[in-house]
Amino acid sequence: MNSLLRTIPFTWKNLVRRPLRTGLTVAGIAVATFLFSFVESMRDGVVKATEAGAAETRLVVYRKNRFCPFASQLPQSYQRSILNIEGVKAAVPIKIVVNNCRASLDVVTFRGVPDEGYLQEHVTQAQLRSGSVSDWLSRGDAVLVGSALAERRRLRAGDRFDAAGVRSWVAGVFDSDDAQDRNVAYAHLGFLQETAQRGGTGGIVTQFNVEVDDPSKMEAVASAIDEAFAHDQFPTTTRPESAFVARAARDVIVLVRFASIVGWASLAAVFALIANAIALAVRDRIRDHAILQTLGWTGADIAWMVVMEAAMLGAAGGAIGAIGAHAAIAFAHLNFTMEGVSIEVTASNMATVAGVVLATLLGAVAGIVPALSAARREIVQGFRTA
Amino acid sequence: MSTIECRKLRKDYRRGEEVIHTLQDVDIDIHGGSFVALMGPSGSGKTTLLNLLAAIDRPTAGTITIGGRDIGTLGRNALAAWRSANVGYIFQLYNLVPVLTAYENVEMPLLLHALSAKERHQRVTEALELVGLADRYSHYPRQLSGGQEQRVAIARAIVTRPTLILADEPTGDLDRTSAMQVMDLLVRLNKERNQTIVMVTHDPSTAARAGRIVHLEKGKIIDAAEFERAAQIAASGAHR
Repeated sequence: MNSLLRTIPFTWKNLVRRPLRTGLTVAGIAVATFLFSFVESMRDGVVKATEAGAAETRLVVYRKNRFCPFASQLPQSYQRSILNIEGVKAAVPIKIVVNNCRASLDVVTFRGVPDEGYLQEHVTQAQLRSGSVSDWLSRGDAVLVGSALAERRRLRAGDRFDAAGVRSWVAGVFDSDDAQDRNVAYAHLGFLQETAQRGGTGGIVTQFNVEVDDPSKMEAVASAIDEAFAHDQFPTTTRPESAFVARAARDVIVLVRFASIVGWASLAAVFALIANAIALAVRDRIRDHAILQTLGWTGADIAWMVVMEAAMLGAAGGAIGAIGAHAAIAFAHLNFTMEGVSIEVTASNMATVAGVVLATLLGAVAGIVPALSAARREIVQGFRTA
Repeated sequence: MSTIECRKLRKDYRRGEEVIHTLQDVDIDIHGGSFVALMGPSGSGKTTLLNLLAAIDRPTAGTITIGGRDIGTLGRNALAAWRSANVGYIFQLYNLVPVLTAYENVEMPLLLHALSAKERHQRVTEALELVGLADRYSHYPRQLSGGQEQRVAIARAIVTRPTLILADEPTGDLDRTSAMQVMDLLVRLNKERNQTIVMVTHDPSTAARAGRIVHLEKGKIIDAAEFERAAQIAASGAHR
């Protein structure tokens, strides 16, 4: 161990006193790791939004064979029938208005919810960053805006807000653990229906969010709801919320899977970059290594120095790239919305740690072959080669 | 003090099909505390013999016993440890590590010894003072003249207080004044510290500063006794 520690200062000096070589290598690694961590954060967002948890209790009732809030129209009166189905704890009619139905990075989604109950449950006073629920209740055109949407559109309590043909007033901004909530503006159901009435859809909602009293009953309740309206004028398709998001986001999921391949390929680039840099460094330092061995340093010491230098390059580039990706994601507030459903790209700690750890490990592995070649070279041969 | 005994020492190199006999059955004894100059034309095997004594190369045949120890029996790691404890090597082209300062270059061999940071500092400072470069400790090799670089290399070679100092044409790349300074230093180390010095040189006047001259030609020691006597007579004035 002592033998390994004594090589650290020399390795460090080799890195910092060759700033151009170190800088260029670290920059290359940082770019590749940035890409990897960014893509992994995107994939993380998709997984979080679409993976069903064991405790999932929310179903989304949507109009059958419709794939956009504009096209999904259900009578609000369905609420009573849904509430009568065994296992249903709550059913909230929601009107969704979006300014763009296709996949986009800046979609504004309005959810119209009843005045009582839903918002009081979803937005507690502790979650409010500004404004209040009572302000929302006191004005018909008031909206409570999720934090991610507010940051994207730079909205604050008291601002006027105009999107998707809806003119509203921001009563407050709230935080939530749920990406769907963070990316919508909650309006009064009646207000949104009234706004949409110009198209003759008063009393019509987009979907029902149904809370089931037991996660094990999800499938049975979904089937019961769809059966209840199967022969109605407005048949329904009911899915767990995660499955609903996954269906809506299927194009994005495919794209993110493809991007994930690019992310892993960028790690291969990290490996190649470090291997190349270290191979060149070892070639340049054949004489230095021969000198050190003449002074009494062993081949193992030399090998360890080379591996450690490669790992340090990987760690430095990995840290800059991964932390840069983390900061960029946190700053950019990226959010994919399609068909009114949001997938938020949040800065993933796991992706950041993975970026740093993988770049460090790849660096160490990339250094092994040059390290062995440096360690095995005979001293005299080293002086002759140099 | 190390007594060196080489017996039937041979070193062959292979160049394609051709075998080059660089050293052929060399027998030599070097007494501890002596200062020996190895002389001879290019390709005579001087540097090869020096490298074998430093254990940075292995003989094809024969034995080298230094301080009673047959170094041919040691493995790579044991040889490295032996070099670290016993040998100081001075190169013709100085061979300082370019990213390290003079101080750090001198400190490098000490990192292999069980010394505290304070002890290392004392030893490095002492070595740099001895070679007259205490004020250049923070300079990088590129900021030093050739003579200064060689003196840093000497400081690096002596900082571990080795019993054996091996010098490969230490003045070969220096101007006259710097060469004189370096030779004065080596003679002083030999006399004051009783360190055994084996030095390769082409230059008769440099060789004359040594206590004994060994002449090599085509891998063999030529008339050593006779040459030695003549060389000692020639060098007696300069050595004193």
